[in-house]
Amino acid sequence: MSDPIQDEIIKEFDGLEWFDKYELLINSARKAGSMAEEFRTEENAISGCQSKVWVRSYTKNGRLLFEFDSDAMITKGITYLVLRVLNDRYPQEILDTDLYFIEEVGLKSNLSPARANGLASIIKRIREIAEGEAS
Amino acid sequence: MVLTCGNGEKMMDVKKDFPILEKEVYGKRLVYLDNAATSQKPNCVIDAISEYYRSDNSNIHRGVHYLSEVSSEKYEHARKKVSEFIGASDPAEVAFTAGTTDSINQVARSLEPSLRGNEVIVTGVEHHSNIVPWQMAGATLKVIPMDDDLNVLIDSIEISDRTKLVAISHASNVLGSVNDIKAICSIAKEHDVPVLVDAAQSIQHMPIDVRDIGCDLLAFSGHKMYASTGVGVLYTGERFRDLVPARGGGGMVDKVTIERTTYLDPPLRYEAGTPDIAGAISIGAAIDYMQRIGMDNIKRHENEVYSYARKRLLEMDDVAVYGNTNEMCGAISFNLDGIHHYDAGLIMDKMGIAVRTGHHCAQPLMRILGVEGTVRASFAMYNTKEDADMLIEGIEKVRMMYS
Repeated sequence: MSDPIQDEIIKEFDGLEWFDKYELLINSARKAGSMAEEFRTEENAISGCQSKVWVRSYTKNGRLLFEFDSDAMITKGITYLVLRVLNDRYPQEILDTDLYFIEEVGLKSNLSPARANGLASIIKRIREIAEGEAS
Repeated sequence: MVLTCGNGEKMMDVKKDFPILEKEVYGKRLVYLDNAATSQKPNCVIDAISEYYRSDNSNIHRGVHYLSEVSSEKYEHARKKVSEFIGASDPAEVAFTAGTTDSINQVARSLEPSLRGNEVIVTGVEHHSNIVPWQMAGATLKVIPMDDDLNVLIDSIEISDRTKLVAISHASNVLGSVNDIKAICSIAKEHDVPVLVDAAQSIQHMPIDVRDIGCDLLAFSGHKMYASTGVGVLYTGERFRDLVPARGGGGMVDKVTIERTTYLDPPLRYEAGTPDIAGAISIGAAIDYMQRIGMDNIKRHENEVYSYARKRLLEMDDVAVYGNTNEMCGAISFNLDGIHHYDAGLIMDKMGIAVRTGHHCAQPLMRILGVEGTVRASFAMYNTKEDADMLIEGIEKVRMMYS
């Protein structure tokens, strides 16, 4: 199933060398803004990451909206990409979305559970939130 | 890379002995600076393991047949080499374990009756493997204070009636700081308290003599000293000749009845079940290799590279280097101002530079440093000043990407 946002991301990363990819992630992270200190709590923190990642959500008209932050820029950039795809969607839509762009842009190795940035944990948390809202 | 002795004389080209170091990652020469996590293996160690499985494989000690004799002999020969390598008075003082963590856990289990409700003295730089087993055995940890440079203040050791053990790392896996274990052993001895030395981060960097140090127990891993993973050593000195084994099973018993069991003498009483025979043999091969080069030569060469790397890091204004102790080896930990250690590690990885980032299984030390984690570069005998230059280049690249 094709997804215009994911296709757009794939296009942005197309043909880039690794350093350019990281630069893009760092720049995305910079643009993403930061989460207010009061929300960077243990409760919002995602474990399994070497860097700290916080995600919080709220619903608006049945859609899930996310805020996030990380103390590492590359992790934050990756989280930004995931949420660019999954933000402002209905919970069931989130659960149905196949994040195929991750492999396409070469971040698949980041998905392995052993990888310290915990991309797998981040996606798991987002899905759990969506599951909670969908039921 | 040619290792040189202090007088500049060519000693041996060691890099060529490690086939993995010829590898390219992401099309770049591999600069392996994660040696505190594990070292690479020279051909002679790889060959010894392969040779064992190709022509000698058999279970030890229990067989009457030819192969069992051969493998038993090779296994015991490896034990003898370890014994001589660390200056033990008898090979019986050397038990093969699964590694440093296993060695320490076995001691914790064996000493649990005396440790429970009492104290174990440690330093603030300990790896989790020299913290958690003592806590699990019901002991309270007392930490020897450090000065601002992170030197352990030996004179501040407070030994009480409740102190049942001093358990200290010889060298820190994070800072590379070397503790004066000989002095610590001598203080402990005055109070008749035994000392366990965690030599995981020193055995590969310098000559070690347990009798000169005066420790009662010493633990280290094979894989950090150019041998294979999953095998290690526990040295038990005279004081612990009759240590109750932590594990029971085959190969460690004298007589077994349904009512009671008597154990074999050390070291076999500590080696229940089939040990890592190939692993033990690989430790023997690694010792042969290190001795061929010479531990003093290794120490001298590494010291030169380590000091050079440290100096270059200290020259960088926006790099915080942790620890500045009297003696250092192996690991250097640092952070770049305003840049997360994880980001730095990821970017350097793409340059072919293997460093480690995070808390390095030393969370109490991270709390002392006031950081979540660090970037750690750690050196082995095959690292060179060029590798250190590459590290600096890597840092510059990280900095550039953040500017």
